[in-house]
Amino acid sequence: MRVLDKPLIVSGELGWLGEDRLERRVDTPTKEVSTIADGEVTQQREGKKPRTFSLTRAPQLKVLLDSFVALLAGDPSRLSESFDVTLGRDADRWALTLTPRDARIAKQIARIQVYGTGTLARCMRMDEADGDMSIDLLGELATKMPAEPTREGLIAQCGGAM
Amino acid sequence: MRRRDVRGRRLGILVAWLVALALLGAIVATHLKVGTDLRSFMPAPTTPDQKLLMDQVGEGPGSRLLLVAIDGGDDATKAALSRGLATALRKDDAFTQVVNGDFDLGMLDTSLLPYRFLLSPTLDTGALDETYLADELQQRLDDLGSPAATLLKGLLPRDPTLETLKLAEHWTPARSPEVREGVWFSSQGEALLLAQTRGAGFDPGAQDDAIGRLRAAFAALPESKGSHLTISGPGYFTVMVNAQTRDQADWIGRISTIGFVVLMLVAYRSIGSLLLGALPVATGALVGIVALTLGFTEVHGITLAFGFTLLGVAQEYPIRLLSHRRAGESAVAAVRGLWPLLLTAIASACIAYLAFYASGVGGLKQLAVFTIAGLLAAGFSTRYVLPYVLPETARDVAGMPWLAAFRNWLDALPRPRWLPLPIVAAVLAMLFFAPGPFWQNDLSALTPLPRDLLMKDAQLRGELGAPDVRYLLIVQAPDADGVLKASAALEPRLREQVAKKHLDGFELASIYLPDLATQRARQAKLPDRAALDAMLDTALEGMPFRKDLFAPFVDDVETARTAPPLTPEVFSRSPLGQRLAAMLAQRDDHWVGLSTLSGVRDASAVAAAVAGSGVDARLLDLKEASESLVAEYRTRILHAVLAATALLFVAITLALRSIRRAWHVLAPMTLATFLVLAVERALGIPISLFHLVALILAAGLGLHYALFFERDTGDPAEQRRTLHATVVCVIAALLVFGMLAWSSIPVLRAIGLTVALGVGFHFCLSILMAPHADQDRLR
Repeated sequence: MRVLDKPLIVSGELGWLGEDRLERRVDTPTKEVSTIADGEVTQQREGKKPRTFSLTRAPQLKVLLDSFVALLAGDPSRLSESFDVTLGRDADRWALTLTPRDARIAKQIARIQVYGTGTLARCMRMDEADGDMSIDLLGELATKMPAEPTREGLIAQCGGAM
Repeated sequence: MRRRDVRGRRLGILVAWLVALALLGAIVATHLKVGTDLRSFMPAPTTPDQKLLMDQVGEGPGSRLLLVAIDGGDDATKAALSRGLATALRKDDAFTQVVNGDFDLGMLDTSLLPYRFLLSPTLDTGALDETYLADELQQRLDDLGSPAATLLKGLLPRDPTLETLKLAEHWTPARSPEVREGVWFSSQGEALLLAQTRGAGFDPGAQDDAIGRLRAAFAALPESKGSHLTISGPGYFTVMVNAQTRDQADWIGRISTIGFVVLMLVAYRSIGSLLLGALPVATGALVGIVALTLGFTEVHGITLAFGFTLLGVAQEYPIRLLSHRRAGESAVAAVRGLWPLLLTAIASACIAYLAFYASGVGGLKQLAVFTIAGLLAAGFSTRYVLPYVLPETARDVAGMPWLAAFRNWLDALPRPRWLPLPIVAAVLAMLFFAPGPFWQNDLSALTPLPRDLLMKDAQLRGELGAPDVRYLLIVQAPDADGVLKASAALEPRLREQVAKKHLDGFELASIYLPDLATQRARQAKLPDRAALDAMLDTALEGMPFRKDLFAPFVDDVETARTAPPLTPEVFSRSPLGQRLAAMLAQRDDHWVGLSTLSGVRDASAVAAAVAGSGVDARLLDLKEASESLVAEYRTRILHAVLAATALLFVAITLALRSIRRAWHVLAPMTLATFLVLAVERALGIPISLFHLVALILAAGLGLHYALFFERDTGDPAEQRRTLHATVVCVIAALLVFGMLAWSSIPVLRAIGLTVALGVGFHFCLSILMAPHADQDRLR
């Protein structure tokens, strides 16, 4: 992130509750649960009262929701509704690049990439228009987050760029 | 040859008259400026409460709010329309503020951003020290890892403690509508907006313009085809009432004119009479308007509308002339015979309308000038110009067969001397047993707005938490800062009232801008640059924030620490400051803080809480103040009317040179006036100012009838002519005022009903109480 000189590491669980509902539970560094449902985000932090705001004000989340739900539901038509999709393959590895179609969202989120091997998705990388990047290590890779991650190191861990 | 000469001369005079009228018309067209501020028809306020009322009713913050609801289509469409409309209106300078729930982070002007430390109450209870900074920075870090990151990223370097967010929360009203899709939605599923106009609430012209722009902006939005816009609010109502009144006045005017034309043709069987008879009235109208243009800078629209009705009295003069022409007698001779009586009639009418001038109300003064000038012009042109353009010979109306029969029938009516007694008894009985209150004090009962519009307004107002238009909190102090200090003292009391559910919400000037002392106290708590830098370094230890990220924050604190405190003048330059400017006003030698309240449920409890707070503040009930204004106004008018009546009695007695004759004229008139009053009361109608105005008008007309019936000429043909003239006048008056009585607008209905009844009663009583019918029968 531009505002930080070290990457921010957050770990927890991301759960799909079916349809358009997503739950993001964070265990470290602070306990927090965010639920996305009915176009609204509810954020509950330990010791603080819950905060709610509309999904339209957090394009990151909207994009996350769209891509996740489409991917998990195996719904290619829904995916191509919101994104321009390109697929890159290299032997067993694949990288799915999603570029948002909606101009307003594209102003904040440049693109999402999902890296995977075989039938498993290993990483999800979100590039924001202002240069910030977030990389989610999924499944078994999640436990293998290095103590001092770097962009290049993480991308290599995900299976390399392509 | 003589005939041709005479005809040539007639034509010449006619042409000259028409040219003169055209010139007057030209003067009017170029110089006339019509004003629309309804406050010129209200009396000048005397008490401070009344003065505030007049200001607030016209220009107060509550009166300028337009409530807008959008429905039709799904939620997403409605939300998009709401956002589109809000953006369009914010760019339009007819509106000072537009709110639709679209939370505006940039509410505080960027140039005023450093002042947030002085405006926010955070420093009152805590200090800007290491622990505080460390805590806040940790929270921000957590926020960055959360979905809320996008909201905060831009703000972080300058405002890590999120003071702007705290301020925005502080300034958001306690009761807000539900937010869906990012904008406000009502419980009925409509998207809601609040727009504050720049123009005053009582100025129909400005409000009309603003509403027009609102509608145009809505129609220009791409998805607006399937959706429907509802507007409500005092400005909207003003525009509606104006349009309705104009519409009705228009079609009533049209029907009356047609009826009038038909009447004249039937009465005189000559188009020439009709056209020429219209000339004195036209002259009167034009001269009246010219007098207004010369005497006042702006002519009020209502004056013109009412003035023409009052000028309906002037149509009598040419009718009298036309009816009183004898066979073989020239018009000039006829008018000479008629003139003394006609002059008395004109003079008495002018005296009656002087009562309006004496009332001291701007609009009514204009009405008086218009009418008096018009009547004099009509009367004198009937005397000195009309006879010369009328044809030499005319049909003598005394020869009409139905007229003779009618006159005989009237003469045969019993005319007991004791007639006044039962009438007086009936009047007293009706007045005594009348249902309902005597005086109409409640101006809101005079509103012609349909019930469902008012209910919709109440519903929208409740949902939006928009302020009550009825109550205002007044805080007074010698200067602006004093007002802010006093308001701050009131705040805890008002919060108590909200907690007790006596009140839904309130807006105080001190919430937006604290007084100078408070600002300085907060300023003193801010650390200097060196100390802040040290604190920041310690707090940032172990956090991944980039070095020097918070330089803008440190700059802001330093600016806030050394800058002069914010004054209302500087603050009002920002958009939010407009809200404050509406709440602080300078009056003569002191300052007044005007605060609106919403959802007032227990006014007396709130008033008691405010009064007991120890500051110079009180709760103003605008309804009560307006009713006292109306009552005072009415007293003044009544005095003026009584004075005019006394003058009239004296004038008539002098003109007729005999008290007995004066009695025959004044008695029917007085009796008929009270009879109208009694009948209206018996119908359950409370008497308002407009009824009083109409009674004066009816009395003016009735006086003419009585004067002419009283005239003892001993010539039956002459008496038939008098009857003809009076009948035509009565029908003409009933045409105009009878039509008004059917109007849906209470004001017009009041005037129409009163004058129509008055004309009828005056006519009947004048005949029944006329003196010489017996002598006629003996002949």
